[in-house]
Amino acid sequence: MSPVNIKVKPRTTEGNGPMRNGQGAVSTSVASPAGSVSEPHPRRRLTAEAMAAKQRDISVSEFFAKNRHLLGFDNPRKALLTAVKEAVDNSLDACEEAGIVPEVWVHIETTGVNRFKVGVQDNGPGIVKKQIPLIFGKLLYGSNFHRLRMSRGQQGIGISAAGMYGMLTTGKPVKIISITSPKKPAHYFEIQIDTKRNLPEIINGQGDGENIPSGERGHKYIADQGIEWVSHYPVPDAQDEHSHHRQDVRSGTRVTIELEGRYVRGRGSVDDYLEQTAIANPHVTIHYIDPEANETTYSRSTTQLPPEPREIKPHPYGIELGRLVTMLKDTGAGTMSQFLTASFSRVSSGVAQRICETAKISTRSHPKRIGRQEADALYQAIQNTRISAPATDCISSIGEPLILKGLHQQVPGEFFCAATRPPAVYRGNPFLIEVGLAYGGASPTQKVTLETLTELLAESDARSLRQFLLTTFDGIGRAGAEKILSEAKMGPRQTPSRIKKEDIAQLHAAMKNVNLTEGQTMQVLRYANRVPLQFQPAACAITQAVISNNWRAYGLSQSRGQIPVGPVTVMVHMASVWVPFTSESKEAIAAYPEIMKELRLGLQAVGRKLAMYLNRRNRVRQEGERREVFLRYLGEVATAVASIKDYGDRSRKELYGRLLQVAERKTAEADTQLDDRGKKIDSAEQNFGENVLIVNPGVATQDS
Amino acid sequence: MAKKTKKTSDTVTLTSKDKKTLGSIRDLADGVVQSADRGRAPYVDIPSRSLSNVRFNQSKRIIEMGSGTNRRELFNLGQAKSYMQTLLVGSGCKRLIEQGKTTSIRGLFYLLKHTIEGASEETFDTQDECDPIIEDIEVSLDSMREELHLYAKNAGAMVGPITLVDSGDGIDCSRMGSGGYSIPSIVEPNIVQFKKNSAEFVLHVEKDTVWRRFNEDKFWREHNCILTHGGGQPPRGVRRMLHRLHYELKLPVYCLLDNDPWGYYIYSVIKQGSINLAYESRRMAIPAARFLGLRSIDYERCQLSPSVQIKLNDQDIKRARQIAQYPWFAHKKPWQKELDLMLKNGFKLEVEALISKDISYVTEEYVPSRLEEGNFLD
Repeated sequence: MSPVNIKVKPRTTEGNGPMRNGQGAVSTSVASPAGSVSEPHPRRRLTAEAMAAKQRDISVSEFFAKNRHLLGFDNPRKALLTAVKEAVDNSLDACEEAGIVPEVWVHIETTGVNRFKVGVQDNGPGIVKKQIPLIFGKLLYGSNFHRLRMSRGQQGIGISAAGMYGMLTTGKPVKIISITSPKKPAHYFEIQIDTKRNLPEIINGQGDGENIPSGERGHKYIADQGIEWVSHYPVPDAQDEHSHHRQDVRSGTRVTIELEGRYVRGRGSVDDYLEQTAIANPHVTIHYIDPEANETTYSRSTTQLPPEPREIKPHPYGIELGRLVTMLKDTGAGTMSQFLTASFSRVSSGVAQRICETAKISTRSHPKRIGRQEADALYQAIQNTRISAPATDCISSIGEPLILKGLHQQVPGEFFCAATRPPAVYRGNPFLIEVGLAYGGASPTQKVTLETLTELLAESDARSLRQFLLTTFDGIGRAGAEKILSEAKMGPRQTPSRIKKEDIAQLHAAMKNVNLTEGQTMQVLRYANRVPLQFQPAACAITQAVISNNWRAYGLSQSRGQIPVGPVTVMVHMASVWVPFTSESKEAIAAYPEIMKELRLGLQAVGRKLAMYLNRRNRVRQEGERREVFLRYLGEVATAVASIKDYGDRSRKELYGRLLQVAERKTAEADTQLDDRGKKIDSAEQNFGENVLIVNPGVATQDS
Repeated sequence: MAKKTKKTSDTVTLTSKDKKTLGSIRDLADGVVQSADRGRAPYVDIPSRSLSNVRFNQSKRIIEMGSGTNRRELFNLGQAKSYMQTLLVGSGCKRLIEQGKTTSIRGLFYLLKHTIEGASEETFDTQDECDPIIEDIEVSLDSMREELHLYAKNAGAMVGPITLVDSGDGIDCSRMGSGGYSIPSIVEPNIVQFKKNSAEFVLHVEKDTVWRRFNEDKFWREHNCILTHGGGQPPRGVRRMLHRLHYELKLPVYCLLDNDPWGYYIYSVIKQGSINLAYESRRMAIPAARFLGLRSIDYERCQLSPSVQIKLNDQDIKRARQIAQYPWFAHKKPWQKELDLMLKNGFKLEVEALISKDISYVTEEYVPSRLEEGNFLD
């Protein structure tokens, strides 16, 4: 594969930073003579030839080195997360493609002030020697860009950009060790990126990397050279040490990047990312060691890998005219019929014939000779021909049962439901929306322990206590933060790191006591191809769909243009062969109308189930209250009547019993009220349909 | 305790009225038993005590209650508690009648107030909750308050050249000192009997402060009248007393009230009866009562200083418009003019405002000249 260079025209990248490469700066001053009033005859400063001398290719590495915010390296805190995220995503992709149940180790180690060493290792298939430098040392090099296949990585930028960022901020090379088989030698590389040429530069082993022999000798070499490598799976149970012998990691890759960063907890942190990853990837085990050497393990809840996504051809509906023309030019097919059937999915020869008929083109005409107008007609014909939806087995959904499992494991709640939409198509790319919803449970502020809170406060870079609360805990909202602070009798503007111990205890108590269920906003977990999206929620189609959905109809309160309020967590997963991100840093999904529609339908599906649950809960509660009210007064009524009628105790009891019978009949009648459609509401949980998990059935089923 | 109670109830001789009232209370309880026996939801129909259920009887010139009723059901979430309270009040009155005792409405509130068994709720939280229920019982049983052996606290006083007997004690209302004879809440002929009277009319003033002025100046002696006040809106005892003075002793009644919507409304209640107690109008309303003052023209007529004005607030204006719409004011031109003028003035006047002229201006100048002119609003 030849080096990929983007020829960047200065005009098109305006605003991307200082343009020192010529035309951008010059042309603006030439084009605006009106600005220089003092000089009536502007001197001609540069000739076209002189300018031409400065016009040249821009290496993609140089471009992204300058525009690193496009890749998610705009601040140290995010840089650390992005590096972990890119490495983990690559690991999971590799494992799944090779059919290995993924085991991932994430080690973050502090090496200096705001400096971290990030090591991510997997038990994947490993990488062959020749490819290692290219994959980690060259931007826009990868396996996923040129094929339509569902995967986490898409562009081939991420991990090499992380390495480049580390190199730029610390000067340390990226270290990679990869083992493809216990019988073959392992390879160890230390790589830097030559940003000018967008090529890897190998530092160790005289520019050729190091070969590590297999077997015990290799283990010794790794240990002696100080190469980081986890060679054994952790023993599942320490007590059974004798029965389990240590299991070797037979293959895998570990990448270690040293970079400038900032470690925080809370929203948008590495911890948060890993937790969310665990929700959407129930088949993954992650061993995580944070900079304070705390070890956390997110264990898998299933060993079943998601079905392997298949690579597909584009679907005709999603192709744009320009792309169609290019494809016509590039095809090797001899006839239109062959071209259509071979280049697109879901086009049989019959369908091809119908398309050609509508476009008034012969099925046997040569694709390369199709003119512009004919191409236009062909494009129209494609739109007007019925073509079945793209094959759905190219997308692997998490599936409703696993969403429920994942949510239940990570999010506390009393009601869970999930909906997986049938696949749909945007721009010819099949995609699928899955939505999970968890209702109830304690808010994150009530879960936190005093020790964690103390640590969180010490680490926080928030300027005020209020900001700390808002950024650390999901969905508490402004009103919630105010409530907590007023309960703790603390001012909102204190610096979090300088709060005294007693005050922390007070704050902790306040956080425990304040019930935020009322003011709590819905927590939205966004996923694209099982990767959590943690930034730019406002720009994301998922958030927009959540906001534009009318949640009031489902029993939550929501003000116009706002995230609904309530103890609700919604997870939305978009799986697609090509997820349309709004930027390279993969933080937000673009709002294509087709995607918005599916999102809406998915959210409505879970919303309806939530509404049923809430209605039922309210109804049961109201009925209970109703009956309670009547029962409470029945005794008094019976006593009053008995006193008027000079009844004895027995007659009083008889009267009470009869009144009780009437009361029970009265409330029983109310139990079988009619629903909106005039049908009798049964006392049935099966009404909820499939894939609903009610944790505390006492609340929902205790009627009659 | 129980023994003692029994003993008292044995010795009590029930009057025919008491027997009738007890019968009504038993009917109320029978309704519950019958409903329960038939497996139906018990309810009481209570005559409605709202503006929509009163009508103005043109010929009698009093407010009468219509036939509209509100159903109160036990098995209705909003009404369950008041249904229970209704029966409680019934049982409380039954006890009072049987024991031959009377108590204040506040006393009954305490008699019936207790924590509901198995709940942290009280049968009655405040007396405000209890009083309307008592009125409900009065209307639904068609029994007057005294027939239920209940009375309200004394409010209002009376002084004048009249002697009467109250519960067997002779009282000379011309020798009552500065406080006057406190008008009890029940002044029925079986309790209060008029003996000797030389008064020629009744002057009813709004508040006791004004009444004290008149009493101190011995106005009633000079003008040979009975002087009463009702402490604002006159309670039933005062209204019933005025009614009896008017009808039994044929004394005309003149009212001296503030020049504000509240004052007009007090006059309206004395004259036609109130909406809430429309069922009592025939024993209380005095259609021939006259409004002596204060009038809207008095600011000019008496040349009062601007500092005694009190600005009308929005509620006053709303209330004045409402009063102007009442059927018993709607067709009276002088009243419409009076109300219009007050609204045009934009302020109200209290009777005390006349003190700004002179301490005894109201007793020596104002009322005597109005009486002399014979200029009253009807």
